Amino acid sequence: MFRISRRRLDVWMVNIALVIICFFALIPVATTVLISFKGERDIIRKPPNILPCDTPEHAFDPSACRWSVEGYQRVLAPRPGNGLLPFVLTGNIVRIYIPNSFMYAISTALLVVFLSGMSGYAFSRYRFRGHGVMLVGILAILGVPLLTNLLALYHMGVNIRRAQLPFYDDRLFLIAVYTGFFLPLSVWIAKGFFDAIPRELEEAAVIDGCSPFGALLRISMPLALPGLMAIFLLTFVNVWNEFIAGYLLVAKNELKPAMFGLYEFLGQNIINLQVIAAACILIALPIVILFIFARRSFFAAMMEGAIKG
Amino acid sequence: MQRTETRRRPRSRFRNLLPFWLILPTVVVILAIQVYPAFYTVWLSLHQREPKGWEYVGLDNFSRLFRMGIFGESVGHTIVFLIGYTTLTLVLGFIIALLLNRKLKLSGLYITVLFVPWVIADIIVGIVFRLLVVPDYGLLSGILQNPALFPPNGISVLTATRPPSWFGGFPFPPAPAMIYLIMASAWRALPFTTLLLLAAMQTVSNEIIESSRMDGANGWQVVRHILIPLMLPTLVVALFSLTLGGMNGVGMVFSLTGGGPGTSTEVLSYLLYVLGWSQLEFGRAAALALLIAVVNWALILATLRITRVEERNQ
Repeated sequence: MFRISRRRLDVWMVNIALVIICFFALIPVATTVLISFKGERDIIRKPPNILPCDTPEHAFDPSACRWSVEGYQRVLAPRPGNGLLPFVLTGNIVRIYIPNSFMYAISTALLVVFLSGMSGYAFSRYRFRGHGVMLVGILAILGVPLLTNLLALYHMGVNIRRAQLPFYDDRLFLIAVYTGFFLPLSVWIAKGFFDAIPRELEEAAVIDGCSPFGALLRISMPLALPGLMAIFLLTFVNVWNEFIAGYLLVAKNELKPAMFGLYEFLGQNIINLQVIAAACILIALPIVILFIFARRSFFAAMMEGAIKG
Repeated sequence: MQRTETRRRPRSRFRNLLPFWLILPTVVVILAIQVYPAFYTVWLSLHQREPKGWEYVGLDNFSRLFRMGIFGESVGHTIVFLIGYTTLTLVLGFIIALLLNRKLKLSGLYITVLFVPWVIADIIVGIVFRLLVVPDYGLLSGILQNPALFPPNGISVLTATRPPSWFGGFPFPPAPAMIYLIMASAWRALPFTTLLLLAAMQTVSNEIIESSRMDGANGWQVVRHILIPLMLPTLVVALFSLTLGGMNGVGMVFSLTGGGPGTSTEVLSYLLYVLGWSQLEFGRAAALALLIAVVNWALILATLRITRVEERNQ
C-alpha cells in the first residue's frame, strides 16, 4: 500500500545529508550575525548563551529577547549632521576604509578587464612567435602566490617613495601590485571566453571593410561582454578580500583598505565581540550579496580558470 | 581586385603588429610585479642590511635562517597544518561532491549556500572562528571549556599550549589552536575543492558506474575502484593547489591565532612576516621567501605537467 521506492528513499537521504552539511557550513556565519545583534550585557556572560532570550524564570522566552544594535552603532558612529541625511557616519571603517577598498577594487578590476581583454583576444586569435611559451609562462605565474614577492615589492615601494616622484602615491603602487597579481588568471579566463566566440564573425566584418581593431571593438567585445563582466566581478571580490598586501604596503591611515582597518579594529575591541562581529558583517555583506546575485558569472569565470589552472 | 590589394598592404602590417601591441601592457605589468620582484628577492637573500648600505654576504642568510630554532619548529607546524588541511578538505570535498553529483531539484540552492564561505575574506573567516572560541565568552568556549565534557580542565583553544611531543622535536600532537586553524581553513577551502571534484566527477560517464552496479558492485566499491582511479589527476591537482594555498595563506593565521598561543601555530608564511616586518631581518626573510617560492614552483610545475598529460590523453 504505502511503499517508497528505494530510489525515492535514496534521494531523500541525500537531501537530508546536504541540508545538514549546509547547516554546518552556515553555523559560523549565523553565530556572527547573532553576536552582532547582542548587547554588551549578553556578550560578557559565563557561560555564554546562544540567544539573548532567557529570563530568570524561563530558559527561553521570545518576548524577553534583548536584541540590540549597539555593535553597529559603535562601528558606524552616527552623529547628527545637516547634509542630505540627518546624520553622518563617522566610524573609520565606513568613512575611510570601505570607500578605499571600493576604490582599489574598482580601479584594479577595470584595469585587469582592459588588459586581459586585449591580451586574451590576442592569444585567442593570433599565432605569433612565442605564443605558446608566453601562454604557458602566464599559466605558471598564475599559480604564484603573492606572499613570496611581498618582501621585494615592499622594498620596491620604499625605494619609489624615496625617489619622491610627482603624482606618486602608495595607492598607485597597491593598484599596480593587485593588477599584476590578478592579471595572469584573467588573461587565461579571457582567452577561454574569446575562444568560444566563432572567428568567422570577425572575418566577415573584416571582409565587409572593417579594420581588425574595429572588428575587435564592434564584434568580439560585445559578445565577450559576459566573460569580461565575470573577470571584473572575480577581480573585484579578490581585491576586496585581499589582506596581506594592503597591510604591508600601505602605511597612511587614510589609504588603508577595509581588511587592514578590520584587523586593527580586532586589536582595539578584544572583549567587545558584538562590535567586531558587526564590523565583519558590514564589510563582508556587499560581497556576499554580489555573489548571490551574480553567482552564474562567478562560476563561469571559476570553471574557466580552474580547468586550466 | 586590384584595389583591395593596395588597400590591404598597410593594414596587413598593422595586422602583424596588432597582437604585439595588445599583449605588451600585460607583459610589462607581469614583468614589473611578478618577475622583477622574484629576482629582487634572490638579490635580497644574498645581502645584509648594514648601516652604510647593503652588503653581499653570500649564503650567510640561509645558514643563519637554518640555525634558528623557530625555523625547524615552523617547518614542523607547516607540515602538520598541510597534512591536516589537505586531508580534511579533500575527504569532505569528495563526500559533498558525491552527494551533489546526484541530480537533485535543489542542487542549485545547495551549491549557492555552500559557496558563501568562498567569497568571505580569509581574515574575516579567521575573526568569525575566533569569536566562537574567545576564552569564556565565545559560544563554543561554553562547550569546550566545560571540564565535565573535556576532562581534566576543558579546552581553551586560544590559550592551551601544545602537549608534549611524541617524536622528539616534531610538533605532534598539535595544539588545540592548530587543529582549530585547520578546521577554519578547511571550511573556507571546501567550496572550491568541492566544485573542482564535482566537475571531474561529472566527466566520469554514468554507463561505467551503471554497468558496474549491474555486476554487483556496492557504493564503496564504485568509489574505490572506479571514481577514485578515474579522478586521480584531478585529486592530485586539487591536493597541489590546496598545498599551495595552505603554504602561502597567512590571513587566517593573522586574525585567528596570531601565531599563538606561544608559537604553536607559527607556520612558515607567518614566520616570513615576523622576520621581514617585525624583526626587520630582510636578508633572512628573503631567504625564507625564496625557500617557500622554490616549493611553490615545484608544485606549480608538477601541476602543469599533470594537466598537460591529461590534455594529451583526451
